[in-house]
Amino acid sequence: MYKSLFSQTLNSALSCSKMFFKYVIIIQALFLLSSCGENETNVSKGNQSGTLYWGNGTEPQSLDPQIATGVPEHHVISTLMEGLVLKDRKTLQPRPGMAESWEISDDGRVYTFKIRNNAKWSNGDPLTAEDFVWSWWRALQPALGNLYAYMLFPIENAQNYYEGVVSDFSQVGARALDDQTLEVTLNHPTPYFLQLLDHYSLFPVHKETIEKFGSADQRGTRWTYAGNLVGNGAFTLEEWEINRKIVVKKNENYWDAENVRLNEVVFLPVENVVTEERMFRAGQLHVTASLPADKIAPYSEMSESPMRISPYLGTYFYRINVDVPHLQDPKVRKALAMSIDRKNIVEKITKGGQIPAYAMTPPGTMGYYPKSDLRYDPEEARKLLAEAGYPDGQGFPVTEILYNTNEGHRKIAVAIQEMWKQNLNVDIQILNQEWKVYLDSESAGEYQISRAGWIGDYVDPNNFLDMFICNGGNNRTGWCNQEYDNLILKVAPAVKSHEERLEIFQTAETMLLNDMPVIPIYTYTSIQLIDPSVKNFDSNIMNHAYYKDIYLEEQD
Amino acid sequence: MHEGNIQSSETEPVSSSLWRDAWIKLSKNRLALFGLFILLTLILVSLLTPIIAPYGYEEQNLALGATAPSSTHLLGTDIFGRDMLTRIMYGGRVSLMVGFVATSVALVIGITWGAIAGFFGGRLDAIMMRIVDALYALPFMIFIILLMVVFGRNIYLLFLAIGAVEWLTMARIVRSQVMSIRNQEFIEAAYSIGLSRWLIIKKHIIPNTIGPVIVYTTLTIPSVMLLEAFLSFLGLGIQPPQSSWGLLINYGVETMEEYPWLLIFPGIALSLTLFALNFLGDGLRDALDPRASKD
Repeated sequence: MYKSLFSQTLNSALSCSKMFFKYVIIIQALFLLSSCGENETNVSKGNQSGTLYWGNGTEPQSLDPQIATGVPEHHVISTLMEGLVLKDRKTLQPRPGMAESWEISDDGRVYTFKIRNNAKWSNGDPLTAEDFVWSWWRALQPALGNLYAYMLFPIENAQNYYEGVVSDFSQVGARALDDQTLEVTLNHPTPYFLQLLDHYSLFPVHKETIEKFGSADQRGTRWTYAGNLVGNGAFTLEEWEINRKIVVKKNENYWDAENVRLNEVVFLPVENVVTEERMFRAGQLHVTASLPADKIAPYSEMSESPMRISPYLGTYFYRINVDVPHLQDPKVRKALAMSIDRKNIVEKITKGGQIPAYAMTPPGTMGYYPKSDLRYDPEEARKLLAEAGYPDGQGFPVTEILYNTNEGHRKIAVAIQEMWKQNLNVDIQILNQEWKVYLDSESAGEYQISRAGWIGDYVDPNNFLDMFICNGGNNRTGWCNQEYDNLILKVAPAVKSHEERLEIFQTAETMLLNDMPVIPIYTYTSIQLIDPSVKNFDSNIMNHAYYKDIYLEEQD
Repeated sequence: MHEGNIQSSETEPVSSSLWRDAWIKLSKNRLALFGLFILLTLILVSLLTPIIAPYGYEEQNLALGATAPSSTHLLGTDIFGRDMLTRIMYGGRVSLMVGFVATSVALVIGITWGAIAGFFGGRLDAIMMRIVDALYALPFMIFIILLMVVFGRNIYLLFLAIGAVEWLTMARIVRSQVMSIRNQEFIEAAYSIGLSRWLIIKKHIIPNTIGPVIVYTTLTIPSVMLLEAFLSFLGLGIQPPQSSWGLLINYGVETMEEYPWLLIFPGIALSLTLFALNFLGDGLRDALDPRASKD
């Protein structure tokens, strides 16, 4: 999942947009009024009415599961729609969702899903296997511009269809055998395929609704608006006020409605983390999206702290544009990577228990602990830089670090700027751009070094390594290694045993780290404030919340 | 040739006595003198900063982190362990420079534009003021971003860009002043002794508009300083590790509960400057307003 605007919420951020401040002031004024009048907070009200107030970081760009790409979108969409398979909220092991059971063929390539009898859309229409086939057909329409189309590529011929090699969708390996049976054929046995089904890009969408408001491959139609949207999740979209709130209400047509204990979830897009923390303190939020780095220390000293820090499947790293002349030499890139003191960055700047990263894949992803000889070694770094023709940094052009406007990214960039100056005597400039401009610059290769973050879409090293195949949409470094591509695309999917697969990933990762088109910096943690009344909200490494399980319990 | 010589010998003593009078009046105004003193001190400190600053402004000490004021770091350190006193001194250089340069740009353009429009009136006035209106309607952020995109990021260009949008109000103020002045008797008198239009604008009209202009200037300087912080925050102004007061305050607000000194000291520096400017501006207006002397 691309670490989008949500990144603002992980690190401390200070949004300076005037409009935003206005909005915050209005919000706060409203809260002041309500709290003065009745002395009742959102949390105490919500605990009685079963309404969860959720700090969602940023306003979602879209609620169309086949267009959305960010984490805030994920939270809202996962209440409104549901895939074939859900995950256990603690272990992330698959559990039945829309499919009550499934069978996997012996060669691991054919999955047969049995869709439950009582699967319904929120308007009461029955949900059938054909709905999934149609939704996946839509997800693979190039005109839709689905950035997550590649999530479907493990399915036989899906990539060929998307790229126009195959024009007949019936050749794609998703077939509805009858209303209740869906057969999915894969290119290779893909161990993480069941996990993919819990990603919103593979969620079913309601055909009639979409076609009512436009053609199937049209972006930005009104079908996602409150009142229009028909979903199959535990909740339905009740209200969507842009930049104010999104309210979802319990869906009585949901197959498991009797076990859904929340009546409502209110998503508040509070971008400013400082404001968010204040709102939490004032009882306006049950859960925050994050916590400013400087507030971690006081919260960890509290006896019954509402703060929860848990490992998060994501890597914070710097991309290097390998087409920039003075960054072409891997020795230069290694020298840069080796002169970053990651320990100090996580201890003194991010402060949230992040783990210094010396490889791209977070350690422990499906039992994979990447080995890496990357370390903090300024001596060696200077030597490498001298070998590359820049002894003591002499003649090294002024280099620019690009980041998207955010306080947390700025702090890290400022620290790294100084580390490179101290250790390598090279001059670094820092440039920030607004999120969308930054993405454009990065994709167009108009940068030298740029900060990046990648949050796992599914728990598998493949999710972190297949980014860097030649010309991959999220590669953006210009780095290209045919041998690497071969390992990731051909060799790894074909092997049988898990251990063998991990070995191949290790070989690929070593290749990546030897060339160092990316500099891993740290492995994320998710840091949230959670009101003690929120139950069944367990931590897991993907930071996925299963709203259908959550309930609120009044505290004395 | 002759005429020119006569004019200058006649006008010179008049104008110098205006300034001498002003200085005498100003020196009686204690608050204004205090403001002047503070401003001169700040400017002096800014000029000498590279010599007298106790540390380097980019010198980090991550292991130290944010510490409260102590004998080694008089105003404490920020989260990177950088000395706040040094940061504020260097920040002052940027802030004062932005404040004065951008405001001067605004002054020069605004006064010239407004005076010409107001003095000539008629169709020229209409055209010139419609241009001002049109520029007003242009969202200022877009204008600055456009300038930055075309000319690249450069701190001096930032000064110019801010000045280039701040002159509009100045032009309007000056124009309305000029229109009320140009029909008065002393202007007619100036015509009657054969002064050229340009000299009348320069020697008679502009000095008479000085009161409102100075008041507006003292208001412009602080707003320009804050504007710079805003632009820098968006990545259009100065970039780390350089800083300015506005930026220091911006970052200080975020951690004011944990590390209040990061907000308080740059805040004091900025407010001190604003007070000094306001006192001085007040005094200057009283001292320079030719009409005030009659009271």
